[in-house]
Amino acid sequence: MIENAWLIPVLPAAAFLIIGAFTMMKRELPEGGGPIALLGVGGGFVVSIGVVLDVLGGKVELPYHATASWFVSPPYTFTVGIFIDRLTALMLIVVGLVATLVVVYSHSYMREEGLGRRRYYAEICLFVSSMLALVIADNYLEVFITWELVGLCSYLLIGYWYKKPEAATAAKKAFLVTRIGDILFLIGIIILLATFKTFDFTTLFSMTVPADQTPILTIAMLCIFGGAVGKSAQFPLHVWLPDAMEGPTTVSALIHAATMVKAGVYLVARSYPLFTQAPDALMWVAIIGGFTAFLAASMALVAYDIKRVLAYSTVSQLAYMFLGLGAGAALVGTTVAAEGWTTSQFHLMNHAFFKALLFLGAGSVIHAVHTNDMREMGGLRKFMPVTAITFLLASLSIAGIPPLSGFWSKDELLATVFLATSHPTYGTTFLILYVLGVLTALMTAFYMFRLYFMTFEGKHRGATHVAHHPGEHHGTPHESPLKMTGPLLVLAVLAVGSGLWAVSTGGFASTFHVGEAEHHSAGFGEILAETFASPLTYVSIVAGVGGILLAYLVYSKGSIDPDHVKRTWGAPFHLVLTKKYYMDDLYGAFANRVVLGAAAVIDWFDEHVIDAVVNGISTTGQSGSESARKQTSGNVQDYAAWMIGGLVVLFMFVIYIVPRLPRGGL
Amino acid sequence: MAAVPVYWYFVLSMALFSLGAYGYISQKSGIKVLMSIELMLNAAAINFAAFSNVFGAQDGYVFVLFVIAIAAAEAAVGLAIYVNLFRTRKTITISRVDSLRW
Repeated sequence: MIENAWLIPVLPAAAFLIIGAFTMMKRELPEGGGPIALLGVGGGFVVSIGVVLDVLGGKVELPYHATASWFVSPPYTFTVGIFIDRLTALMLIVVGLVATLVVVYSHSYMREEGLGRRRYYAEICLFVSSMLALVIADNYLEVFITWELVGLCSYLLIGYWYKKPEAATAAKKAFLVTRIGDILFLIGIIILLATFKTFDFTTLFSMTVPADQTPILTIAMLCIFGGAVGKSAQFPLHVWLPDAMEGPTTVSALIHAATMVKAGVYLVARSYPLFTQAPDALMWVAIIGGFTAFLAASMALVAYDIKRVLAYSTVSQLAYMFLGLGAGAALVGTTVAAEGWTTSQFHLMNHAFFKALLFLGAGSVIHAVHTNDMREMGGLRKFMPVTAITFLLASLSIAGIPPLSGFWSKDELLATVFLATSHPTYGTTFLILYVLGVLTALMTAFYMFRLYFMTFEGKHRGATHVAHHPGEHHGTPHESPLKMTGPLLVLAVLAVGSGLWAVSTGGFASTFHVGEAEHHSAGFGEILAETFASPLTYVSIVAGVGGILLAYLVYSKGSIDPDHVKRTWGAPFHLVLTKKYYMDDLYGAFANRVVLGAAAVIDWFDEHVIDAVVNGISTTGQSGSESARKQTSGNVQDYAAWMIGGLVVLFMFVIYIVPRLPRGGL
Repeated sequence: MAAVPVYWYFVLSMALFSLGAYGYISQKSGIKVLMSIELMLNAAAINFAAFSNVFGAQDGYVFVLFVIAIAAAEAAVGLAIYVNLFRTRKTITISRVDSLRW
C-alpha cells in the first residue's frame, strides 16, 4: 500500500480540479460539489489508512523514501519525493480523519450557501491536499511550496464570505502575518541549502553537524522556527488566529485541528534531528511556547465570542506542543530525551480530536442560534443534547481530566517540562515554564467551562434573537441533523478514548517514537502505576479540577459575580486582557508610525526626486523638440542653409581641429 | 604663353561655388535657384579640369563631360517640376512651396 502513498494528496487535488472546473464554467454540481469533495478527501484518508497500517505493521523499512530528481543546478540537486515515517503516519491519520469528518459535517453546515459551496469545497480540497503533501514531502523545498499553498488556502477560506469587510480583513491579516514567518522559514532553508548543499531530509537528518557550524545551524533553525511561529500563531505572530474566526466554522475546525496551525508544530517536529544539534534554538522554542501558552489562555478568559475562546485555546495548546518539543532538547543525552518529542506529538493528536470536536460543536451551536456571542446563548443543553454532551466531553478532555485523552498527553508533557528543570543552565527557565504550564492548565479548564456553562447551562438568553429568523427556525434552537452530530459523536469517542488507547497499547511512544533507539514499550498497568505514583500528575489534575470548579462557582452557581470582579480589583487585568495585551494596537501603531512614516519618506523621495528627474527629462525633450519643430519650415532653401552651415562647421573641424589632435586620433 | 598658376582655377571655382550656394539659399525664383545649382556644378567641373591638367590625367575631363551631361538632364527635370508646380500652385516662388512640412 505504501507505494501508493502519492495518491494521498493527489485524490483531494483531483477533487479540487473537478469542482474548480465546474465552478469556473458556472455549471451546477449536486450538493454544490460536496460528494466529490468527500470522495477526494475520504479517498485520500482511505489510502492513508492503508499506508499507516503498513507503517505500524512493520511491513516496510522506515523511513520509507521514494524520490525523483526534479532539476539539477550544480552543486545542488532538487528532488520531489515521499518521506514516510511514524510522524508522517500520525499526521496522515489526524489530517485525513479530521478533514473527512469536516467535509461530512459541511454538507449540512454549509447548505444555506447554495451554489457558493462549489468554491468552498474546491478550496477545502486544495487545502487538505496541500496539507497532506506537506506531511509526506521529503525535502524542505517541497515543504515550503506546500506550506505556501496551505497559507493561500487559509487566506481563501478565511475570506470565504469576502463580501463581509471583517472577513476580507481577517483573511488579509492571516495572510500577511503568516507571511512574516514564511519569509523567515525561507531564509532558514536557504541557509541550510548554502551550508549543507541540500534540502533533502534523509541527508540532512543523518549527518552530524561539525561544531564550527553549530552557530549557523542555530540561526537556520531559529528562522525555521520563525516560520512555525507564523503558521502556528505563536507569540508575537498570534494575532491573526482569533481574527480568522470570520471564516466558516468548519474551516476553523480544519485549520485548528488538522491543517495550517498544525503545520508549524509538524515542521519543528520534523526538523527535530537538526534542532537537537542546535539546542539553543530549541530553548527558544520552549520559551516562546511556554510564554504563548500562558498569554493566549489568559486572553481566552475574557472573550465572549465562542469561536474566539476556542481560537485562543488553540494558540495556547499549540504552545504546549512547542514547550514539549523544547523541553526535549534540555533532556538530550538522557534516557528520556525523546519524551518531549513524543508527548508533543501525542498532544498534537489528542488536540486534533478534541479541538475539531469543540469547533464543530461550536458550529452546531452557531447553526442553531445564529450568533457567536455567548451572552446570547445559555441553556442550550435542553435543545441540543448531543452537541452539549460531546462538547462537555471535549471540554473535560482539554481540561485534562483523567482518563480522557487530554489528560494523558498534557500530564506527560508537563512532566517532561518538569524533568527538564534538571538541565544545568536552563533549569530555572524550565521551572518558570513549568509553573506557567500549570497555570495555563488551570486557565484552560476555567475558560473551557466558562464557555460550557455560558452556552449550555442556565437559562436561554437568546430566544428573541432566534425568533428573528423565521422560516429557518421554529422559535427555539434545535439539535443539528445527523450529518453534523455524526462527526461530533465520532470525534467524541476519539477525544475520550485516543489517549487511553495509546496508553493501554503500551504507550504512545512505542507507536509514534522518534527513532528505533527510543523504542520502549511498557504495560498498561506499569504506565498507570508510574503516572499515578508521580506527584506531578496530581498537580495537573488539581489544576484542571480547580479551573472547572472555579468556572462552576462563577458561571453556574453564581457564588462569585464576574461583573463585580470586573468592576473592582479585576478591572485593570480585565482591561489588559480585553485589549489583548495591546498587541493589535502595538502592531497598528507600528504600521501607522513606522511603516507609514517610512512610506511617506519614500513617497516624498519618489515624488520630488525620481519623478522630478523623469519629468525633467521628458520636459527637456519636449521643449527641445518644440523649438526644433520651428526649424522644420518645409522650405528647401532653409534646409540647404542648414546643410551648408553644417558643411562649414565640418570643414572648420577638419582644417583647424583635426591637425592639432594628438597622434592616434581621439 | 605663361601658364596660369593652378590656384587661380581654385579661386575661380571657389568663387563660383560660393556664389551658387548663396544664390541657392537666397533666391526666391525657382529659375534662379536652378541657375545657382548650375553655377555650383560648373565650379566642380572647373576643379576637375584643373586637377586633370595638373596631374596630366584624362579622368578629370571625362568627369567634366559627365557633369555637363548630368547638369543638362537635371535642368530638364527641374524645369519639368516647375512647369507642373506652376500648373497646380500658380507659382514657382520657392518660399511658398513648403509641403515638406508635416
